Formats: sequence, C-alpha cells, structure tokens
Amino acid sequence: MPPFERIVAEYGPLISRIAMSYEADPTLREDLTQQIFLAVWQALPSFRADSSLKTFIARVAQNRSISFVTKQVRQPRLAELPERLEADTLNPEEEAIELNEREMLLAATRRLPLPQREVIILVLEGFSYPEIAEMLDIAPNALALRLSRAKSALKSMLEHK
Amino acid sequence: MSDFDLDRLGDVWRQQPDPAEMERLQRTAIAVARRARLAAIVDVCAAVAVAAVVIVLVITNPNMQTLVMGSAAILVLLGSNIRLRRLRQVELMGLTGTTEDMLDQSIARVETTLRHHKFTLFAAPFVLIGSWLGFATAAAPRPESIFGMLREIPGFRPILFATAMAALVALAIFLIVSIRRGRRELNRLNAMREAYRQERDSSAP
Repeated sequence: MPPFERIVAEYGPLISRIAMSYEADPTLREDLTQQIFLAVWQALPSFRADSSLKTFIARVAQNRSISFVTKQVRQPRLAELPERLEADTLNPEEEAIELNEREMLLAATRRLPLPQREVIILVLEGFSYPEIAEMLDIAPNALALRLSRAKSALKSMLEHK
Repeated sequence: MSDFDLDRLGDVWRQQPDPAEMERLQRTAIAVARRARLAAIVDVCAAVAVAAVVIVLVITNPNMQTLVMGSAAILVLLGSNIRLRRLRQVELMGLTGTTEDMLDQSIARVETTLRHHKFTLFAAPFVLIGSWLGFATAAAPRPESIFGMLREIPGFRPILFATAMAALVALAIFLIVSIRRGRRELNRLNAMREAYRQERDSSAP
C-alpha cells in the first residue's frame, strides 16, 4: 500500500472532481473534500486489493459525497468554478472555451438524478463498464440502460444551456 | 450523443488542477490525516489514563466499595469503546459498499436518531419533575454540607428552578430543531433510495 501522501498526489484530482460534481458551494465543497480525505484515510486499512485502488477511492468518495449532500437542507446551487485549468497547450481563447465547457458539464452533471449522475461521473473519470457495473453492483445490461438515460439527459441539458 | 462525444467530454472533465491547487489539496489531506492520527492517539491515551487512575484508586483503597465502583468504571469504558468501534465499522461498511447499501444504513441510522430524540423530548419533563419532587421531599441536608449551605442562600430555590426550566426549554428547542432536520434528511434519503429503486425496476429484464 503506498503512503497516504502518494495516494493523495495520485488520486487528489479525482477526489476533488467528485466533490465538485456533488457540491457547488466552494466553502461546503472544501468541507466535503476534507471529509472525503478523512474517509479515505479511515477506509484504507480495509482495502483488500480485490479491486483497483482507484476504484476503491472513487467508491469511498462517491458514498461520502452522497451522505454529505443528504445532510444539506438547501437545494444544490450552481456556483462558479474557481479552479483554473492548466494552460500549457491552450491559448487564452481556447482556455476560455474549455473552462466554460467544463463549467457547463459540471453544472449539468449536478442536475442529473443521483443514480444517473453516479454512472456519468464514473464514465467521465475513465472507468471501464465492467468496473462500473461491479462498483454499483448492477448487471451490465442495467448499466447500459442507466448510462443511455444519463447520456440523453446530459445531452439535453448541455444543448439547452 | 455518441460514445465519441462522451470520450471527448471525459477529456474536458479530467483536466488536472494547476500546481497551486494540487499543493492546496496535498496540504489539506496531510492536515486531515495528522488530525485523525492525533485523535486516535488521544483516544488510546485517555482510555489508558482513566483505567490507570481507577486501578491506582482500587489499589490504594482496597475495600469492596472502591472495587465495585472501579470495576464498573472500567466496564463502562470498555463498553463505550466497543460501541464506538462497532459504529466505526458500520460507517466503514457504508463507505466501501454500494450506494444503495449506504443509503439503507443511513436511513436506519436517521430513523434510530429520530426515535431517540422523540423519546428524550417526551421523557425529559417527567425526569425533571421527578427529580424536583425527589429534591423537595428528601430529608433536609446537614447545615454544614454544600447543599445545606446553598439552601441558606436567599432565593436559591427559585434560581435553581428557573435554571432547570431554562435548561429544559433549551433542550426541547434543540430536540425539536434536530427532529425537523432529521425528518428533512430522512425525506431526502428516502427520495434518493426511491430513485435507485425506480432505476432498478425500470431496467429489470
């Protein structure tokens, strides 16, 4: 098992993106990110390597995020995205387009129903379909159907933005 | 939307945070881990300290009363540690299991908390009245004892009564607010659970 610091270096961005896709408010998101780090730290000793470490961390992060949002009494609000993106390969115009696209994608993702949001986040994070089916404990055909619904909902939201 | 589009959106989604943001994430994670390690050490030290004090008291005053009280204190300490450990295990199972299992556990937890709060709200006035009656009908304390001296202070009883009432009102407000918050959380959890159930039912063969 790599030390916690190395895990954060490798999977910190994944944790940050999952927190962003569940919580729009920057202050609450910071709180959620801390809670996810704590949950990962507490859960790591129970990691048995029957799945990849990335899968394990994504599962813990999603579950902590869902339990966090259920405690919030207000509806999620669509906040601005404070994080800057790396601009090594992009000119300012391209960067602005991409930043805007990412903001819109995040905002649309946050509006998806929870079961569909969960699937879309895992697909966007690059998990394979068998990995996602295993994480969610659903059959591959059920996953395909859920993903299809999630994609059309996301497409509709992005088109009507 | 084709899979190709989703692949491209994935590339947009997975943009790495800039070095400053990464640095901030690292700092946050390390601080959280440090606090958690410290809390674990404090838990163990506190348990060891309490147990040591109890053992020293029993050894220095070897009679039946201190032995019984010391054993009871250690049993309570052990019991609370075991309960805490079980709660953490349940929480860990929720974190590492499926979302639906986690939602079921959360619903059970919130329902139990709501039941406890409602029971406390109902029972607290009776406990207070009972304590007050017991206090009022008990034999008068010796004048040299602390209670005896307190009773001699003019207006002590009305002040004590007012303080107890204020504490009761504060407890009631706290419980009512907690119950309302718990109900809202339960509604949201049930709505989420229902969303998963519908999703499962609609994709069943």
